[in-house]
Amino acid sequence: MPGDLSRLLNALGLILVDTVLALAFVDQLWFRDLPCPLCILQRAAFFAAGFGLALNIVFGPRPSHYGATILGAATGAAISMRQILLYIVPGSGAYGNDIFGLHLYTWAFIAFVLMIIGSAILLLDDRQFARTEPWSTHLNVLPLTAFMVFIVLVVGNVISTLLICGGGLCPDSPSGYLILNDSLSLTQLSQAF
Amino acid sequence: MMSLPFLLFACGLGAAWLRQRGAAMGFWFAGLVVLLVLFRVHMSDVLNIAL
Repeated sequence: MPGDLSRLLNALGLILVDTVLALAFVDQLWFRDLPCPLCILQRAAFFAAGFGLALNIVFGPRPSHYGATILGAATGAAISMRQILLYIVPGSGAYGNDIFGLHLYTWAFIAFVLMIIGSAILLLDDRQFARTEPWSTHLNVLPLTAFMVFIVLVVGNVISTLLICGGGLCPDSPSGYLILNDSLSLTQLSQAF
Repeated sequence: MMSLPFLLFACGLGAAWLRQRGAAMGFWFAGLVVLLVLFRVHMSDVLNIAL
């Protein structure tokens, strides 16, 4: 597999990660399904895993970048498995909406496992690492779009998490945006005096 | 505190955009460590999986 094909496959993988993270935002903003602390950590793990793909796009494929993807995805799989186990006993409930019969944390676990398998398959081909000439700094439209959307999504998650959790740990079952509620409470308090 | 991993990954992507590979990997590693610490903090409850 030539390096350029590898770069393209990494861009397609990053677009899939972008899509998952964008759908999480749609679920949060459109369906008003606020993420729990473990859900937020799974989002962060998607960024940890996608980071390796982004580095492959910018710097060219390297084994260490695939290693970053596998470690990030393994962390995410552990977090989502923990959440699956919280609700594994029949009658113990679930968190959030389901999609096609599976909850988001179950889909997340499947996605993380697929990322590990995909990275392992891409690692099998050594020819992508044999390139001697330096990689072009110019990115094509698809890799550039994948990378820029990834940056926008991570900045969006910084803001969203700050709004939901404030500066500390998140409530177990968030009912609203903590910072906005606090600001509202402060406004009401100042009006009362 | 929960937004810290996202912030570190954002800094890492910024470093990658500026073609600073070492800094990008450093931010990624720091983000992963913080993520694991936050996971440890949130998995203090004992799982109820007795049948």
